[in-house]
Amino acid sequence: MEEELLKIKNDASTLIFEAEDTDELNKIKLSFLGKKGILTFAIKNLSKIPIERRPEIGKLANEIKNTLEILVEDKEKALNIQKETKIEKKHIDVTLPGIKPQLGHLHLVTQAIEEITAIFEKIGFERVRYPEAEWDWYGFTALNFPENHPARDEWETFFIDRKPHPKYGPMILTPHTSSGQIREMERRKPPIRMLNIAKCYRRQSDVSHTPMFHQMEGLVVNKNISINHLKGTLDYFARSYYGEERKARIRPYHFQFTEPSFEVDISCGVCKGKGCKLCKEGWLELGGAGMVHPNVLKNGGFDPKEYTGFAFGWGIERVLMMKEGIEIDDLRTLYSTNLDFLEQF
Amino acid sequence: MNIKILDSWLREYLKTKVKAEELGKYLSLTSVSIEKIEKVTQGQSKAPPGTVAKQRLGLLPGGLKMTGQTEDYVYDIEVTTNRPDLMSIIGIAREAATVLSQEGKKAEYTEAKYKNNFKPQEKTLEINIKNDPKLVNRICAIIMEVKIGESPEFIKQRLEASGIRSLNNLIDVTNYIMREIGHPTHVFDYDRLDTKTLIIRESKPGEKIITLDGKIHTLKGGDIVADNGQGEIVDLLGVMGTENSVVTEKTKRILFFIDNNDPQKIRKTSMNLGIRSEAAVLNEKGVDPSLTISALLRGIELYQKIADAEIVSNIIDIYPNKPEVKEIKISQEKINEVIGINIPLKISTQILKRLGFHVISKRNNLNITVPSWRNNDIEIPEDIIEEIARIYGYYKLPNILPPLLKKGPYHLEDDPLYWERKVKNTLIYWGFTEVYTYSFVSENLLEGPPEEALKLSNPLNEDMLYMRKTIVPSLLEVIKNNEERNEIKIFELANVYQPRPNDLPQEILTLAAVIKKPNLNFYEIKGIVEQLLNGLGIKNANYKNRQKGGLGADIYIKNDYIGEIEILDDNLSNFELNFEITRKYTTLKKTYKPIPKFPPTIEDVRLTIDPKISYQQIVSTIKTQSNLVVEVSLLDVYEDKKTFRIKYQNPYKTLTTEEVTKVRENIYKALIKEFKVKIT
Repeated sequence: MEEELLKIKNDASTLIFEAEDTDELNKIKLSFLGKKGILTFAIKNLSKIPIERRPEIGKLANEIKNTLEILVEDKEKALNIQKETKIEKKHIDVTLPGIKPQLGHLHLVTQAIEEITAIFEKIGFERVRYPEAEWDWYGFTALNFPENHPARDEWETFFIDRKPHPKYGPMILTPHTSSGQIREMERRKPPIRMLNIAKCYRRQSDVSHTPMFHQMEGLVVNKNISINHLKGTLDYFARSYYGEERKARIRPYHFQFTEPSFEVDISCGVCKGKGCKLCKEGWLELGGAGMVHPNVLKNGGFDPKEYTGFAFGWGIERVLMMKEGIEIDDLRTLYSTNLDFLEQF
Repeated sequence: MNIKILDSWLREYLKTKVKAEELGKYLSLTSVSIEKIEKVTQGQSKAPPGTVAKQRLGLLPGGLKMTGQTEDYVYDIEVTTNRPDLMSIIGIAREAATVLSQEGKKAEYTEAKYKNNFKPQEKTLEINIKNDPKLVNRICAIIMEVKIGESPEFIKQRLEASGIRSLNNLIDVTNYIMREIGHPTHVFDYDRLDTKTLIIRESKPGEKIITLDGKIHTLKGGDIVADNGQGEIVDLLGVMGTENSVVTEKTKRILFFIDNNDPQKIRKTSMNLGIRSEAAVLNEKGVDPSLTISALLRGIELYQKIADAEIVSNIIDIYPNKPEVKEIKISQEKINEVIGINIPLKISTQILKRLGFHVISKRNNLNITVPSWRNNDIEIPEDIIEEIARIYGYYKLPNILPPLLKKGPYHLEDDPLYWERKVKNTLIYWGFTEVYTYSFVSENLLEGPPEEALKLSNPLNEDMLYMRKTIVPSLLEVIKNNEERNEIKIFELANVYQPRPNDLPQEILTLAAVIKKPNLNFYEIKGIVEQLLNGLGIKNANYKNRQKGGLGADIYIKNDYIGEIEILDDNLSNFELNFEITRKYTTLKKTYKPIPKFPPTIEDVRLTIDPKISYQQIVSTIKTQSNLVVEVSLLDVYEDKKTFRIKYQNPYKTLTTEEVTKVRENIYKALIKEFKVKIT
């Protein structure tokens, strides 16, 4: 009997607590405390228990009844207040600031990487990552860099204090995402459509250089890939990332691992290509591109007689700074730890 | 590499009516990048005495009028490192003529012709030059009697527009030739070379020299130097002259000396000594040795004109390393395949010929001979394609997206980037700000024995010496740098680097976060980790006391250690997760459980219990008593009292009081037996 009463108490209190409006509450009240209610019925049945236990159980039953009545009363009050608030037309100053949940900030570089990734994924590029600490072979030799190329100097590239690999040479911190070209070709058969975005390192630090930075690298290898395809891809990127009215162009340049090589320009968003103080005769330099050098294809295991390809790459930081409104005067600010800066984005 | 050149100087070798601005535009699109075109006005007022006289004598070019004001332009040109031939007036003139002609403009390159039929000298002065062919490809030299003085105005103007200071006529000629032809040159005071001997050799480590700017340098060895035969160095070839042999105000006789050096040796010397002279910059790129003699002949001409030079020796020409002549074959198909449109062989031939290539067209093939000044940069058919395509005009080619690829299936669940984005976005919406800190740290921030970390052999500074093995110290630096804030929540997702023997290090993607907040509670940070993992579909993480000691917890999924929570003090706490291992357990899988049709019974129970007994122990004891217990949750903790809510439910029927009573009794018994609890 005691258990039964306790169970009634538990059931009733849970239901009362969860009641959503006064109608529901009244029904609950009726089903437990009404004339035919469960508790009322149980109290009536007290006469069936042995007489010596009656006072004790009776006391418990009354306590439970009281408790439930109080619970119902309290809930009734609470529901009424809720109702009033709903109905009453209070004055609200809608211009007062709201109570905001906390919101953090994604780093600008992350934001740029996400946008760029989305743009290239739409045309079938797959984002990959390759080692930051890399063998010379992947960073330089396989990319057609001659042994004495200045980029391999110890004042341009970081070297790691480890035994050189018997085949792949010294261990370096990769100075560009181009090292991913060889890794990608080793990993896959053509056709290739790679977007490699990763941390890179160069031994320099000034307003426009940080020793750690991010690059993105596109690589497409297949049969019959021509300069036109590179131009199409660059144009698509320029219009997607910078805006419909912007254009991309390529100019002759020189890189070890592409032939022909190009420099990629984006039309200036400020003067719309007419020429202004912020640009060079209407254009802003974005980065490098070119047709994959036959030696690089060979080093990646592809036959340059059968396949051609193009590659392009540039700094994420540079891409960012060329976006309107983000002309950061010192690139190092991006990797500074000033929260006032980071919370702007 | 950048050079500045004056428009009027360029037009000595380029005949065209195309205006500077247009010329600049076409060059940028097809050849070198014209960074800036600056308009300059030059006039008589600046001209020193004697200018007009020299002009009358025909010593000044006709194009430059010295009476009244003349408008001129300075081109600021960026030249790529593979084209040292374009670091010169004649190089640019040749390119410009080709480009303009291809664009349908009238333009012509006038090749310079130098007098080279000097009679053998009767009285000759001696100089004994002993070359080392391993170091120097070619040396051309001549001795002249000269009158030192100021240079005429046009030379001064041209040099100054090029960013070179005019010093005196003897020095100015060397710079003038370098800019015009693109070959660095040198001039010695013949009389100061007292041994009349120049032995070209490699320097020994520790040898000291004083360069012409008066600076003392200690050589590292392997630099190309000229020895006077008595062990004294009298020139640092290709980089900078030495103070003991250069011309002075008193110079009467000069040794005009053109050296064509091994580029790699020059680069090393220049970088080691920090002497980035224009000569060094050019020489390290490799200068065409066929220009060495042109530079000498042009020099003779200029010294005769502006320094009243008399030749007093025969021309010396030591030329041990003649480059081989390169020939390349290419087919029409190959050209079209790479460029993507059909370019007739006739046009390709025309372009190449204008650039100085020798071309024979045979059926669908071109047989091409590379001109000497392009010997270093043209190697393969693709190099030829570049020449054709750029002059034809990249801007004329269509924009076409590459054809879409057939790909295998894609699984979102297997895409690491999806999970990374998810974690970052989750943290952002919980108020965390993402930071990027450098991958390299000081020994101080390394946390751990330095010999177990990857070390840079040429760090930028001591703060960037090791590749980090944990991100937390870098984040604590961020906290330190923003000291004025009481509350900070930051995170970073980046690699840490674990060295492996004879291999590249393992790069482990790691998530770290730091919270600074007054009276920070362990359970707040644990809650973040728990919910973060829940969001990744990981429900079975468990937490143990830290093995390292200290406040906090080690986090495991099954038997994999995935990271830790660390309490640093009352205000500062962090967690770090190995994201690679965590990723093994992330899942998109969801299981549907039918929503129970039968009502649960819910009871609260308050225990007085030894605080050392963990929550997990209590919960699992309660749960194991019956499968009718579907949920146990903690409502409240107060001192040694914990209130739990127990939910009983049978999915197939309504529970009876008896059933619940039985389970409850078992639970109470077990709790009392195992933990000696008091139930209230």
